[in-house]
Amino acid sequence: MTKMFGEPIKRVEDRRLVTGRGAYLDDLGQDAYAAALVRSPHAHARLVDIDVTDALDVDGLIAIYTYDDLTGPLAEALPLLIPHPALTHGRTVHALARDEVNHVGEAVAMVVARDRYAAEDAAERIAVSYEPLPAVVGIEAARAAEHLVHDDVPGNLAANYTQEYGDARAAVAAAPHRLTLNLSVERSASTPMETRGVLAEWDTDSGRLRMWSSTQTSTGLRAAVAAKLGLALTNVEVITPDVGGGFGVKIVHPWPEELLVPMAARALGHPVKYTEDRREHFIAAAHERAQLHHVEVGFDDSGRILGLDVRFWHDHGAYIPYGVIIPIVTSTQLLGPYKPAAYRVEFDSLYTNTVIVTPYRGAGRPQAAFVMERTLDAIAHSLGLDRADVRAANFIQPDEMPYDFGLTFQDGRPLIYDSGDFPASLDKLKKLVGWDSFESFREAARAEGRRVGIGLACYVEGTGVGPYEGGHVLIETTGKVKVATGLTTQGQGHATVFAQIVADELGVPLADVEVVTGDTRRFPYAVGTFASRAAVMSGSAIALAARNVREKVLRVAADALEADPGDLEIVDGRVRVKGNPGAEVALGTVAVLSNPLRYAFDEASKAATQFVVGDPDKPPVAEGDEPGLEGRDYYSPPHATFANGMHAVIVETDPDTAEIRILKYAVVHDCGRLINPRIVEGQIHGGVAQGVGGALYERMVYDEHGQLLNASFMDFLIPYVTEVPRGIDIDHLETPSPLNPLGIKGAGEAGVIPSAAVFAAAIEDAEGIPITSMPISPSELFELRRTHDGFGHQVAYNRPGDQDREETT
Amino acid sequence: MKVSGDAVLHAPIERVWQALNDPAVLVRTIPGCERLEATGPDSYTMVVTAGVASIKGTYSGEVKLSDQQPPGSFVMSASGAGAPGTVSTEVQVRLSEVDGGTRLTYDADAVIGGMIGGVGQRMLAGVAKKMAGEFFAAVDDVLTGKAPAQPTTATVPEGVYVAPPKPAVAVPGGFLTGALVGATIALAGVVVGAVFGRRRG
Repeated sequence: MTKMFGEPIKRVEDRRLVTGRGAYLDDLGQDAYAAALVRSPHAHARLVDIDVTDALDVDGLIAIYTYDDLTGPLAEALPLLIPHPALTHGRTVHALARDEVNHVGEAVAMVVARDRYAAEDAAERIAVSYEPLPAVVGIEAARAAEHLVHDDVPGNLAANYTQEYGDARAAVAAAPHRLTLNLSVERSASTPMETRGVLAEWDTDSGRLRMWSSTQTSTGLRAAVAAKLGLALTNVEVITPDVGGGFGVKIVHPWPEELLVPMAARALGHPVKYTEDRREHFIAAAHERAQLHHVEVGFDDSGRILGLDVRFWHDHGAYIPYGVIIPIVTSTQLLGPYKPAAYRVEFDSLYTNTVIVTPYRGAGRPQAAFVMERTLDAIAHSLGLDRADVRAANFIQPDEMPYDFGLTFQDGRPLIYDSGDFPASLDKLKKLVGWDSFESFREAARAEGRRVGIGLACYVEGTGVGPYEGGHVLIETTGKVKVATGLTTQGQGHATVFAQIVADELGVPLADVEVVTGDTRRFPYAVGTFASRAAVMSGSAIALAARNVREKVLRVAADALEADPGDLEIVDGRVRVKGNPGAEVALGTVAVLSNPLRYAFDEASKAATQFVVGDPDKPPVAEGDEPGLEGRDYYSPPHATFANGMHAVIVETDPDTAEIRILKYAVVHDCGRLINPRIVEGQIHGGVAQGVGGALYERMVYDEHGQLLNASFMDFLIPYVTEVPRGIDIDHLETPSPLNPLGIKGAGEAGVIPSAAVFAAAIEDAEGIPITSMPISPSELFELRRTHDGFGHQVAYNRPGDQDREETT
Repeated sequence: MKVSGDAVLHAPIERVWQALNDPAVLVRTIPGCERLEATGPDSYTMVVTAGVASIKGTYSGEVKLSDQQPPGSFVMSASGAGAPGTVSTEVQVRLSEVDGGTRLTYDADAVIGGMIGGVGQRMLAGVAKKMAGEFFAAVDDVLTGKAPAQPTTATVPEGVYVAPPKPAVAVPGGFLTGALVGATIALAGVVVGAVFGRRRG
């Protein structure tokens, strides 16, 4: 029987999904009432009055809710999900605006009607009076604090946090060479194809709530809904249907709608559904990425960093439900595969009158990689060294693993890299992209009047953060294996990879394994799907659970076969005595035997009934044993496992139009052992595609009044397949993680992390103009050319009067 | 969003003055304007129905005036709200005599919110100028006699002006953002009329 772990098998869920048989949130609850939200058109305003009179005439209207209809815990602000000692001024939104709105799109009222048409019609007729207040938009405005987002938050500052090892400032001051860089990254967003949505059913007879949500955490949502609606946890079930992408935005919970919809379903005794529309997703969900960084770095003649001092400002939007996770990730993952001799990082997390900022695939790392890699490129440039050599000079070496920085990571645990071979990865990348022969390619292109550039960027990604996940494995009397884990699926292929793990552990055909995720009825203990943790956490837990089941299978089968468990193996769903082909029993039969019966229900089950089996002198279920072939286990690691990778890109920039074309994109990726290389490569492809978007196309364009000007796919540019490199050259390094039973690391976010860094490097290399702000459009590159004199690697400035890179040697 | 432009009206400044001074003229020349009403010496309300493509709606607006420096300039602050969105704007309007007529120059700084605000902003300025052009052309038609100077009569209270039936505003290019821009420009137009109205009084 072929080992499944490591095989690039096709995803078992795809036939269903690509033939239109998926069941996404909006496919459910066809008879439910529909909810529509009235949202603030102002970025910052006092709520004066809500007049629903005109809406009352709308045929089909069922109910209208405003803040005044919220009671008990529901009337309080939504939870601050991840408290942190540095988060001194945490503010969260109310499910419906109470007396002030703080961003365009904030929910003000909810309408429930017989269908969405009526709900929208009624929502349109609700007249809300506002008293507009000055809007705080962008990091500079937040920092200047001429106006405040929240009256009781001075300086718009939610959190200030510093981490340091060594004396970075002294090290910078004493270094033989120094550089200062000012770098910025703009807003983007997860932008899943399926927007948010929630459906709730209230069972009046049993007092139970069942809800479905397009979420990344069914258990987290369940706990929040129970608390906010005053329900016993056991009376709330949350089921995650097929989810059309999450990328981070759906880890936030509870969204206002995830409380209002079940509230209305309970009040009305009828199912209620809300499906977010695309414009709402732009203005009422979450964004990420916007940060400004000021870097001071000191280094020696070889480019080795002696001191790195980073000050940055993080725009977290109008509220801060997800705490300071993103800036902490930026603070720590900025180090990448490098070991500056001394490092200090300080950030301010600032309120603005814009949509909230919560993790989006990469979660603070794209900014971190951008800052570190831009710094290394600047060092190489200032010393006239090869950019790859400067990286190599700063690498943590394989024999230094595990490497403890003495900092605290986003999970509250020490930042300790468990494994990785960065020099080997760099060698692979240089070969893959043709680093050493690029100059001849550049010369050839130049002779044709073409302009090309190459860049590379490295990252390390903490994946598989705790606290835990669990797995449940059940072998039915049919021999089929049912697997459940509590975390949710948004398209990652969990049904495939978890089945691969179980198929190997139990020796059953892949087709006999069925996986369920994100259903609290099947597995109520879980954390959620984020931080590239599903394979590591649930994969490990499921493997452990399967091993428990296997042990019992062998024990029960050994009894039946009168053999020693150590002499048994499971092959193709049958337990057999090694070297004795006739002596075997099917897994289904073992399942029957494991469950002593009084009542037979079919031929097979007769074998387990009370007059057929069992020692009359012993209890049918031995002390300490349980009926059935079932295993449950949990995986809870001491800290994250750190995957890493390196990307390189060759771009061509049009000398006239400044259009940026991708000629070659190369990825070296190390996520430990690969469960399914096809799925890992798919994750890389998707990540690179989103990275291309983030580097070259996507941005959230807010005007100074806090209006999002491009809240549609007409103006917010997501790359089509035509903008994504046709071929992405991928090479894997498999440095197993010592932290989990499978030796695996997360792979979900990796592809997007180094994109801004690698494109900035390649464009800078092609143009000879420092690239200090991402994303970059052809128009911006054109403008940079216009304001820069000459072509060549000269010390230069990003914008006139704005000194973004300054040599102070 | 900043919008500026100008138009030459083919009449001496005093005739321009009289025409613009007549709310009954304005109500029929402002794109989409159905009704306008004086609510005080410096304030007016109006109703504009406009719709392009799928975003249609009725906007209620308020207008306040400041910095009137007759006959040369004034500042209009207007706000309007309707289902498709909100608008608030400050418009600086200047008049001057030129060869063959009167030049009207406007500089508007508008905050567009709601659905219109997030959809297709890149088109707004162009559409706004187009609609402003329509308004001034309509006024010019009145001034040059191509269109009737007197509106069809309607029974309404004093100080209230109702437009004759007319097709909904059609924005060349068919872009949905035109609806709210129509409201903005309409509000600007009302102010022009209001200012002249005050001066006559």
